[in-house]
Formats: sequence, structure tokens, C-alpha cells
Amino acid sequence: MNASKLSKKRKAVTRDVEEEAGVFSGDELNVGDINGALSDNANELSSDEEDSEIELIDDFSDDEDEDEEEELDSDEIPSDGEEPLKKKAGKPVADLEVPTNDESSSEEEAEVNFRIEKDANGNDRYIYDEINPDDNSDYSDIDENANTIGNIPLTFYDKYPHIGYDINGKKILRPAKGEALDALLDSIEIPKGFTGLTDPSTGKPLELSQDELELLRKVQMNEIPAEGYDPYEPLMEWFSNKQEIMPLSAAPEPKRRFVPSKHEAKRVMKIVKAIREGRILPYKPPSEEKEESLDLVSFDLWADEAERPDHPMHIPAPKLPPPGYEESYHPPPEYLPSNKERKTWEEADPEDREQEYLPTDFGSLRKVPGYGEFVKEKFERCLDLYLAPRVRRSKLNIDPESLLPKLPSPEELKPFPSVCATVFRGHKGRVRSLNVDPTGVWLATGGDDGTVRVWELLTGRQLYSVKVSDEDPVNVVRWRPGKDAVVLAAAAGDDLFLIVPPILDPELEQASLELMDAGWGYAASKPAPKASEEKKTTPPQWARPSSALADSGVCAVIPLRYVAKSISWHRRGDYFVTVCPGSSTPASMAIAIHTVSKHLTQYPFSRRIKGGGPPQTAHFHPSKPILFVANQRTVRAYDLSRQLLVKIVQPGARWISSFDIHPTSSTASGGDNLIVGSYDRRLLWHDLELSQRPYKTLRYHRKAIRAVKFHPSGRYPLFADASDDGSLQIFHGSVTGDMLSNASIVPLKVLKGHKITGELGVLDLDWHPREAWCVSAGADGTCRLWM
Amino acid sequence: MAKIKKKGTSGQAKNFITRTQAVRKLQISLPDFRRLCIFKGIYPREPRNKKKASKSSTPNTTFYYTKDIQFLLHEPLLRKFRDQKALAKKIARSLGRGEVGDASRLEKNHAPKLTLDHIIKERYPTFIDALRDLDDALSLLFLFANLPSSAHVPPKTIALCQRVTHEFQHYLITTNSLRKSFLSIKGIYYQATIQGQDIMWLVPYRFVQRVNGDVDYRIMATFVEFYTTLLGFVNYRLYSTLGLRYPPKFDTRSDENGAELAAFTLEGRTVGEAPKAIEANKQTNKTSNQEVSREVQAKVDKVIKSAGLDRTKDEQVVESTEEASDAIDKFEPTAPEADTLPQPDLSGDQAGSLFAPFVFYVSREAPKAPLEFILRSFGCTRIGWDAVLGDGAFTHDETDTRITHQIVDRPSLPEASLPAIPAASEGAVQKVRPGTRIPGRTYVQPQWVWDCINEGKLLRADLYAPGATLPPHLSPWVKPTRGGYDPRASLAEQEEEGEAELDEESDSDEEMEDATEEKKADTKEESEAESEDEEDINGGMDVAETDDDESGSEEEEDEDFGGFEEEAASESEDEEEAARTQHQKELEAEAAGLPFSSGGAAGESSKKKSAQAKKIASKKRKEEEELERQKMMMSRKKRKLLEKMIYSNKKQSEEAAKLRSKRRKLEKGEKGGQK
Repeated sequence: MNASKLSKKRKAVTRDVEEEAGVFSGDELNVGDINGALSDNANELSSDEEDSEIELIDDFSDDEDEDEEEELDSDEIPSDGEEPLKKKAGKPVADLEVPTNDESSSEEEAEVNFRIEKDANGNDRYIYDEINPDDNSDYSDIDENANTIGNIPLTFYDKYPHIGYDINGKKILRPAKGEALDALLDSIEIPKGFTGLTDPSTGKPLELSQDELELLRKVQMNEIPAEGYDPYEPLMEWFSNKQEIMPLSAAPEPKRRFVPSKHEAKRVMKIVKAIREGRILPYKPPSEEKEESLDLVSFDLWADEAERPDHPMHIPAPKLPPPGYEESYHPPPEYLPSNKERKTWEEADPEDREQEYLPTDFGSLRKVPGYGEFVKEKFERCLDLYLAPRVRRSKLNIDPESLLPKLPSPEELKPFPSVCATVFRGHKGRVRSLNVDPTGVWLATGGDDGTVRVWELLTGRQLYSVKVSDEDPVNVVRWRPGKDAVVLAAAAGDDLFLIVPPILDPELEQASLELMDAGWGYAASKPAPKASEEKKTTPPQWARPSSALADSGVCAVIPLRYVAKSISWHRRGDYFVTVCPGSSTPASMAIAIHTVSKHLTQYPFSRRIKGGGPPQTAHFHPSKPILFVANQRTVRAYDLSRQLLVKIVQPGARWISSFDIHPTSSTASGGDNLIVGSYDRRLLWHDLELSQRPYKTLRYHRKAIRAVKFHPSGRYPLFADASDDGSLQIFHGSVTGDMLSNASIVPLKVLKGHKITGELGVLDLDWHPREAWCVSAGADGTCRLWM
Repeated sequence: MAKIKKKGTSGQAKNFITRTQAVRKLQISLPDFRRLCIFKGIYPREPRNKKKASKSSTPNTTFYYTKDIQFLLHEPLLRKFRDQKALAKKIARSLGRGEVGDASRLEKNHAPKLTLDHIIKERYPTFIDALRDLDDALSLLFLFANLPSSAHVPPKTIALCQRVTHEFQHYLITTNSLRKSFLSIKGIYYQATIQGQDIMWLVPYRFVQRVNGDVDYRIMATFVEFYTTLLGFVNYRLYSTLGLRYPPKFDTRSDENGAELAAFTLEGRTVGEAPKAIEANKQTNKTSNQEVSREVQAKVDKVIKSAGLDRTKDEQVVESTEEASDAIDKFEPTAPEADTLPQPDLSGDQAGSLFAPFVFYVSREAPKAPLEFILRSFGCTRIGWDAVLGDGAFTHDETDTRITHQIVDRPSLPEASLPAIPAASEGAVQKVRPGTRIPGRTYVQPQWVWDCINEGKLLRADLYAPGATLPPHLSPWVKPTRGGYDPRASLAEQEEEGEAELDEESDSDEEMEDATEEKKADTKEESEAESEDEEDINGGMDVAETDDDESGSEEEEDEDFGGFEEEAASESEDEEEAARTQHQKELEAEAAGLPFSSGGAAGESSKKKSAQAKKIASKKRKEEEELERQKMMMSRKKRKLLEKMIYSNKKQSEEAAKLRSKRRKLEKGEKGGQK
């Protein structure tokens, strides 16, 4: 059979399956088609059956299609018998259903249930369809097929080709038996060696010869495939333990079996001869002496010594330290333990003792006993040698002094304040601010009681006092720099007061008053501000004080409308800047620059300074037209002449409390140096040339730093800070003219004296303009002069 | 992506191996492993991170380097150990069968002999290496040479130890290389210098050693086995460099008579017998070695002369004194701040001439063995001793007129109290009454010999006369260090400024034993006084109040800058104030024309003293303040380092201060006694 035939057969099989599906689903079926197919199928099936037999033997089938075939094939004869039955049964069903929904029946008659035929007379004859008594019955089709012969044995029909009759009286033919199929199969010719497989190498159908098939079978059955091999051949016993009566050889036993071997004798003689000659010595146990001599060294081990580089991992055992004086049998008397030491030594556990022996004086050698722990000590040493892990430790053998940084001695750094010389008492409540006047004679203070007081610095005598505010504390007092006039600026509540205290000699007082009065003319000549403007941004008008205040020396009042916490004068004494750090203050009005000669107040900043909250404090640069403004986290430098932001300093503190600019560094070294104090306990030194970040961060205070200040004159490189922990710290901070060397900072002194009241210690500090003295204002209501 | 590394395959996990793992790897028992480690000198290591090194969770494990163990795997001794194990099994089997003879034969003939020479060569590739490691070997061998034989310590081992140590001592005697010795509580320390290597060892006094239960003799025996082999090879090398035959001739009979060192006779090697080793050496490095060997030859000749002609004397002494002229000059620094360079302290020739002209006689009660060894190695060739002490003496006759020094260690008792000597029989050595002094010779206590050799010169013998209180015996190895206490120097030299006064004062204040308590009390008093002063001085002005209640020590402990400063500030403040007011008062008094006295005239001296003390205290405080100031400017790391150093220095200086105060007391007591 060729491939085409094979495929055709497969098609037939599939169609067969389809048809079956059709039957069960009740789909429309072409009767004629079915018939044709059926007949065809019958043939094909038989051939198929034969094929499948071979396939069974081969068992090569793996395809799904073949599986299907196998399923079919595996049903043996009974199924074969059934199928035709079923197929035969399929036809009548189709027939019966014709009237209801068959196409062919609808062709003949449209909707009538009778046929018109001509009878023998030529008349019309209506032939009605048989009425199905129960056409809604489900069992009708099964009943149609039933054999109606009743309860008689089938053997009665053995002679006939049919086995009974159906309900229509038609003969039910005997189904095809095996013999018939066989006969059919016999009639079909199959080529010899047909396997149904395709040789993959040639593409032609694979044909196997009988030998090959046999070989395959043997392989399959686990038999030896060789031809003619018999695994169960009968055993022939050629050699056995049975004594045969007749020997294989009849030769007599040779003589050599009875005579001693000459060869052996020869060999023995050889040994005997060797022993006689002394070549072989009989065994003698080695003597003791010989063993002794083995212990003795008889050669130089280091005859060809070669130095080997020391292994880096090898650590030689450390040597025991040499004995000290206390180990002597007759030590100096001071090494002998006192009674107490002896007692503690005896009481201590042997492991805890620092020395394993007690120094003893035996006086003379004959009195020295044996040392009881000798063996134990040596044993422990042995244990150490092989059990103790060795670690190399590098011991620093340097003088600890050399580690210390070289600092100038305090004597060289003198003078600096160290002693409290004067205490200024008089303020009720805290002293918020103080300032030493530029001549260094007076001290101005302002406190919670709303008074501004002026003291004689050296004696502590109060010279002048004015109560500028009844309820608000005086936040800050600052003297005007310059010796030509004496003006004190004080901020209390919302107002600024410019005071010429009546403590001066008349000429100076006159000069100061004239200076203050000069501005009124400007104020008067200036056009009055418009009402609309006045609301927000108009700078305040300087006012004359009330008569009571005017009598006590107040010359002018500036209503700032917000609480100013910081005043800083320009070095010429014509301007001063105030800062109102309150959070309610509008950004544009926080910083104000006041001109004394013109009685003018200006707000230089229209917008809020970026980053870091409201401004805290501001200072003019000591020599350049630069204004430094600090907000909570940064310090910014603005060039006033060019109106530019020059620099931003980032101290890294969370909340800057105060800062100060080195008075001379910009002229001496070209760069500015800044100290910044912060509420988070840090004191930061900035070198603006170096970086935005602090050059040194000093954290020696336990509480917030309130004020920092450089010594105003260039003579003493000192600075100080005041903290809430009640102490002032004095540092030496010198800036050299050399650009390469950094500023050297040396802590000098902690000044303690102020009592901490209400969590506050020292609130402000100031330096004497010429001497190395400093003044501090405490929360305890006192000020102190340190010198 | 990089390959994922498996844990425990590299780094510390791989480099270290626990002891159990090592034993398993080597497939030997733990005692065998121990022996192997002792022989090969392998010791545990401390991994930098124990957790990383160990795979187990048990914390206490001993770690070895894996490479060390790898190295042990190739050890030929391992095979010997396994043979031994197999033999032990065989012996046990035959003993189990009752075949005692078989067992003993096996034990005798088949016991594998361990040879350690390859290990010694491996551990000490050069001879100098071996010398460097001789300290422990000598100490242990000298101990074993003095041990009584027991089940753990067979007499053979003891004899071997005695032999090698005596041989070594003989080498030291012939080369005069012993340098120092020290009589301690534990025993006698010796130090020798061989080929530039300082070797120090300890020899116990001759008493039966007390043995505790917790000493494992097997471990020590392993060490002894190794050390005897080592010292044997070292001796061979030392002898052969001198051209002496090794082993030296050993007279068993005289040894039995207690001759000890004298039982050995050193012999020179005949010329033809030149050792192969040296020949080989010559071939390898001719130029250098020939010179050396020539020198050696010269030395050898000399030694042979001296050794062979034991009884000849004075010529050599003269020679040696002449030779002393080309010895190194001593360099003394002229300024104290200069560095002192180390110099070899004593040359062999100098050492060899120290006792050369004298004839010593060692009395019965003096330790003969160490004395003989020391005297001989410092040039003395004629040493006599009592016949009781054994053979080998120059003379057993105490009355010998040649004797110049007699070493006596007995109390001087009145003659009457001594028992009379039974009349000596004819022929016997004439006995001398124990108390009598033979004129013409110097009687000294044994310590004199030790002090002489440590000083390198002969000391005054009268200080060491029998019955005299000896000067303290000092260790020759302690070098005076800065801040340490030196008993040789006078107290005044090493005291810190004002220490004595402070101490005295504290003594006078209260007689308390505890020095620290004294100090505390002292400071308290001071502070009280100060506070009083303060009130007087300040007058109208308010000065910052100092917290007097807090004790000074507490304040000091407080490292805080502020806390410390507070006190210091007030202190200096007070000082200055005090000075100022003092001056003011004086001026006032002057103006008034009155004699000024700061306090009552009665307590003036005491006041002065206290003022001085105060001054010192304040100065100290100032120094501390300064230190604190400097510390502030240091980085944290450096500060910690400094504090550590200061701590150790402080410990040392405290110890020194304690010793000084003890000595001060003693001296005071003496003075008081004299008054």
C-alpha cells in the first residue's frame, strides 16, 4: 500500500467519527451520503483492522491520530459487531424523521401528511402516513430495531441468513461474523512486510523483512537476538571431583617428588656460607650504649646555614621580662610590702594578684628557701608557648607631651579678663543689654524694668537712669561710636529712643544735643507722606519725646511699630540699623536703617530674606560699606553702595543668636572673619575667604549662646561668648596677615559668676574699647566687669 | 552579573581552622597533635573576627592557621606517630594474650625513634635564630636537671639535662661570656652574651621542687625532649667554633662524687679531625670564614692553653690586663638632655680577668654550684671547697695559704657558743673551727660575688663581711627610666618639687597609714582655709562663689571644660586677690610704722609651710589646667590616645611615688632613731 492510500484510509476514519457525532447530536445528515460512506466504511474498516493488527505488534504509533485509530482498533470483535449494528440502526432513524424535517421529504410534499397516489384504477388514492401513537415518545427508535421473534432461542434461525424480524416485518439480517471478516481480509492483498511506517531517511514506506521482525520481537522479549543461541543447553561435566577408574595418564610418579631439592640446598648453603663468612650477622639486641650514643649530637646542624627571610606571619615567643628589684632575695627596704599590702595580697585570689610572689627580705643567701611555685611557673610558661595565641602589638613609645598641640602659653596671651572686678547692681529683673561707651568710661544697661541706666564702669556707681517704658523691657542699648558726641540708642517696646544722658561735661553735651537737633530741620522740610502710603511702607517719623522723657535726656523717639531686638551703629556714627525679629513683623519692615543727621528711617529690604526665617540681627562692616544680616540659619552680606548680595555664610547652626565681625581682619589679612553664636550651643568661627562653612566649630557651652563679641580694638585678639549656662568663655583668636596660615583659636578662660535665673544666664556682653576687660549682663539683675 | 560567592570559601573562614578540625585533618590523637605542635612550634592564632572564622556557634575555640596545619601534613614525624600508634596496638594485643615477652620485645626493638634535627633546622634556619630562642630552653633544662627522678621524669632525662646544661656552662666558662647574674626569690638569674645574643635563664635553688597536682609532666617532657636536642646541637656548634671536641670527656666516677662541672674535661680537636661541616662552610664562603676561623683558631689556642694548664696562673692575668687597654672607652654624655647610645657593657676579656688573680674557698654552707660557675666564668681558675661539697676542687684544705678569699655564709657567733671540733685524725684534711678566721684572707658573703660581677669591678669586701648587714641586692637589668623610682639614686634627686614637704605636712597633720586618705584630708583642709580667706578678702565686693563642698578629686574627674575651669578660676583669683590684699596690708602696716605679720607669730612657720604646700598645689592645678586647655584643641582620637598614655605613665609614677614615700618614711625613721 502506498502513502496516498494510507491517508485516504485515515480520512475515512475521521469521517466515520464525524458521522457518529452527527448521530448523537441530531444534526442534519445526508442519507445518501451516509449510505455511501457506510458502504465505503465497511470496506475500509476491515482493511483498517488488518493494518492495526500490525501496528499493535510494532507499537510505534505516537501520533494523536494514530491514538484514535488505536482506540478504535483496540475494541475487538464485539465492538466490531456493534458498529455495523449501530450504523444500520442509524438509517431507519433518518428515514423516520424525514416527514418532520428532512429536506427530501419537503421536496415531495410541502405540509400535508398524506400522499396522493394513483391506485390500480387510476383514481387518486390518499395514503396517510402511519400515525405514531406516541410520537412524543423517546423510545420509539429503539423499539423499531427490536427483534420481534419473541422468546424463542436464536438457534432456530441458524439455517437462515436472518435472525428474526423487526416491527415492520422486515428480516433482520445476521450480523457479519469473524469468518466473514476474515474472508474479506483474505481477499485483500497486502504487500509483504508492510508496516505502515515511513522510512524517515528515504521518505518511502518502511518495509521490514521477517528476519528483522523476528529480531525486533526478540529484542522486545529480552531474548538474546543471536541466531541459534540456546540458553538452556545441557551441561557436560568434563572435569569433576569423581575419581575415574581409569586415569588420564598412566605415567608413574616422578622421582623428584621424593628427593630433596638440590636447588634449595644450594640456596641454603649460600646463606650458611655467608653466615660463616660473617656476611650475615645473626640478630643481636642492640646494646644500651649504642642507644646512648644515638642521643649524642655528632654533626653540625647549621653547617650550611642559610638565612631565611622571616615569615611575616611568624611571631617568635616573647621573652620573659628580666626580674626587677622587688624580686631580689635582699631588696631595698622600700620594696617590702607594708602590712596592709601584705594582707591584701594574701587575701586576693592567686589569679588576681599582680605579682605571684611577695617581696621578702631574707637577709642572707643561706636563709633563702626554695621557691614553691617554680615548677608550676615553668609549666605555665610551657603552656603559654604552645597554647597561647600570639598577637603583635605595636607599643607607642613616645612622650605623651609630644602629642599635645603647641599652644601659646597663657602668659603670652595675657592680658585677658579673668577676675570679676565690679558688680553693677540696681536693675530689677533681667539686664537685657549693655554697652560700654567708646571712651570706655561709662556703661549703659537696659533691663526688664524698662530703665536705661548709665554706670561708671570702674566703680560701679550708677550715674543716670531713665525709665523709658513702663511695661516693656529695654531690649537693647547701644552707644553711638565716635567721641565727638555721646548718644545712646535704646530700644524698648515698639520705640527707639535716642538719649543724650546728662552726665557729660557741658561742651560735649552741647555738641551731642546739636547733633541730635540738626535732623529736625530735615524732617520738617521733607514733604508729608500721603495717607495711602502711610498705611504700609512709609517709614516712621521721628518724634520728639514727651516732656518727662525730654527732661531726662531723651532727644528723639522713633516709633518703629514693632519690637526691635538689635541695634548696630555704623562706625561713623551717622547710621544705625535695627532689626525687629518678631515673626509678626512684615518682612519689609524688619530691618530699618536710621540716619541720625537727617532723622530719617529707611527700609532697605522690600522682601523677605530667603531661607531661614526672619532676620535676627544685623551689623555694619567695620570698614567697608557692607551690611551683614543674619536670619535664623544664614548670614548674608550686602554691598550697600552697589546694592548687591555679596556673600552668604552658612554656619550650619539651627538658630543664630548673634554674630560679630572681626574688627581688623579685612584690613589686616584681606578677608573677613566672623564669629557666630547660636542657640544650639555652638560657637562658629568663619573665615570668609576660606569657605562658606565654619572654619572651627566650638561646643563648649552646655546651653544656648546668647551673645558673641570680638574685642573692638585690634590690639587684643580676644573674643568672648555669653551663654545661658551662666558662663562667659574667653578665647584668643588671632588672625595673621599671612594668607596661608589660618586663624589660631585658643580657649583661655571660663568666667563664672552670674546666677542662672529662669533658665537664663548671661544675656549680653561687651568689651572695653581699649583694655582687655569685658562686661556681662546677667539674667540675675547684675552686670559684671571682668578684668 | 558577578558570580555569587559561596559563604565560607574565602577569607577568614578559609584561613583559620579550629583545633578539632585540625586534629581530624591530620588524623592523629589530640596528645599527638599537641606534641607535634610543640615540636614544630605551631601556636594558635587569634582571628581578627572570631565569628567570621568559626563555622560553629561555640564561642570558645582555638584557631590555627589552615596553612600551618597544611604544613604539618607533610611532617615525617606524623608517620612516626602513626607507627607508634600501631605498635601500641600490637603491644596491647600481645599483652592481652599474655605474651609479655613478645610485648617487651616489640617495645624494645620496634619503638620508632623520633629524630628532631630536621625540625630544629627548619625552625631555626641559622644558628643565631637558635641562640635567640634559648631562654626558655635553658630555664626548663636547668629545672629538669635539678628535679628528682620520678615516674614522670625518668633518670635518663635528668642525666641528659644535666649533661647538656653542664656542657653549656663549660662553654660559657671557657669563653667568659657570662655577663650578669641575680639572686632572686625564685632562683638565680644568669645572663650570657653569645655572638651578640643576650640569653637569660633562671636556675632554681637546690631544693626539692614542690610539685602540684596540676602540672602535666607529659607536656613538659615534650618540651624537654625538644630542648635537649636543640641544646645538644647548639653545644656542638659552640664547641666546634672553639675547636673543642664535642662531647667533652665525661668522668662518671668524679660525677658520682659530686664533681658536677669538674667531671667534664674539654679537649681540643686534633688538626686532622677538622669537622666536615666547617670544611663545607669554607667552600661556600671562603673569604669571610677564613678570617673568622683564624680568629677562632687564635682564641682556641688560648683557651686550650688555659683549659689544659689548669694550674698555671699569673701570666695570663697580666696578659689580660694589658689587653684591656684596647677595650671600648666609656662614653658619658655631658649634658643630661642628650641621648645615650647603648654600649657593650663588659667584654669577655674584662669578664675573664675579674677574679683571675684570686684563690677562692667556698665554705660548706655556701652554694657551691652557682659560685663555682660564676667564679670560673669570671676568670677564677682556683676554687677550693669543703670535701663535703664534692670532687673537683682546687683544694679541700681550708687552711691552704694560697687562698685569698673565703666565701662564708654563716652568722658571726661568739666563739664560746661554737662546739669544739673533735681532734682530727692524722692524715685527714685539717679541720678548722667554724668560727675562726684565718689571717691573710678576705672573708665575704656570697652576695659580694654577685654584686662584683654585676658592677664589673671588685667592691669593698668589708661591706660584705660575714655577719654584716648586706647592702640591698639589686637587679642588674632594671634601667632607670624617667619618672621611675631608682633605689640607687638618692631620694632628693628623684623627688618632685615640693613632694617631700607635702608628704611631711600630711604626716604631721595626721598619722594615718593610707597615703591617699592623707591626701584627701589635706586637700579638704586647704579648701576650707581658702574659703575663709575669701570671705575676709572680698569685703564689700561680691566674688563668685566657689563650691567648696565639692571635693577636689571629684572636680578633677569631671572632664568638662567648664567644671574644671570654675575651680581653677576661683583658685587663681583667690591667689591673686590674696597677694594683692597682702601687699595692701603690708603697705598699710608700713605706713603706720607697725611690724607686719600676716598671722599670729606662733603659727608662722606652720603657715609658711602650708602656704608653700598651697603654692605647690596651685601650681599643679595650673599645670593641669594648661593640659586641659591643650587637650581641648586636640582631635578626639588623639585625645584618647593621650589619655591612655597618660594613664600608663601615671600608674608608673604613682608606683614610684609610693616607693619614694616609703623610703622617706624609712629614712625619717632612721634619723629619728639616731636622735
